[in-house]
Amino acid sequence: MNCYEHTFIAKKDLPESQIKGLVDKYKDIVTKNSGKTLKVEEWGLRILSYDIKNNKKGFYFHFKIEGNGNTVDALETAEKIDKTLIRFLTVKVKKHDLEINYFVKKEY
Amino acid sequence: MAFKKIKRKQKGGKRKNSNSNSLSLFQKPSIKFFRPCPLSGKDAPVVDYKNIKLLKKYISESGRILPSRITSISQKKQRELSNAIKRARLLALL
Repeated sequence: MNCYEHTFIAKKDLPESQIKGLVDKYKDIVTKNSGKTLKVEEWGLRILSYDIKNNKKGFYFHFKIEGNGNTVDALETAEKIDKTLIRFLTVKVKKHDLEINYFVKKEY
Repeated sequence: MAFKKIKRKQKGGKRKNSNSNSLSLFQKPSIKFFRPCPLSGKDAPVVDYKNIKLLKKYISESGRILPSRITSISQKKQRELSNAIKRARLLALL
């Protein structure tokens, strides 16, 4: 089992129900592909430092995931198709740091 | 003739002196200013792409990564730092 940190940016003009749906949707994908999410951080609406596809603001979500390569593959293929997302990034880490949150916002 | 030669020699000597003075600006100082790396050692801050406050210290106003000879960061940490900055750029955090 490897540890991954996964972040994605969603478009800002989404209804709240759809935003919460996004988190559940990608959590499901992780659990279906023999992985588990340890923590979900919501960094909230932030101003992008440069425009991406004519977007100036975005909702940030941060996942701490345990799983293998297939888990990440499934996640990223699903996100490439998703038109409500602007960008995503997966980083492999040696150990999860579950205490520090650099962007203090809601947690669940 | 002899008088002229002497004069020339003096001129040359003077020039040499002035040259060496201006050159000394570009020569390395005899005493090295040693500063320990601010990111390694005990209770140093963790280099991470989410830690924007820390990363902002090590980029210039126009957003370029500062060289380690100015910030005196060790080679290993400079590698980590540049990786972290590039990741933060991808997520439009910096």
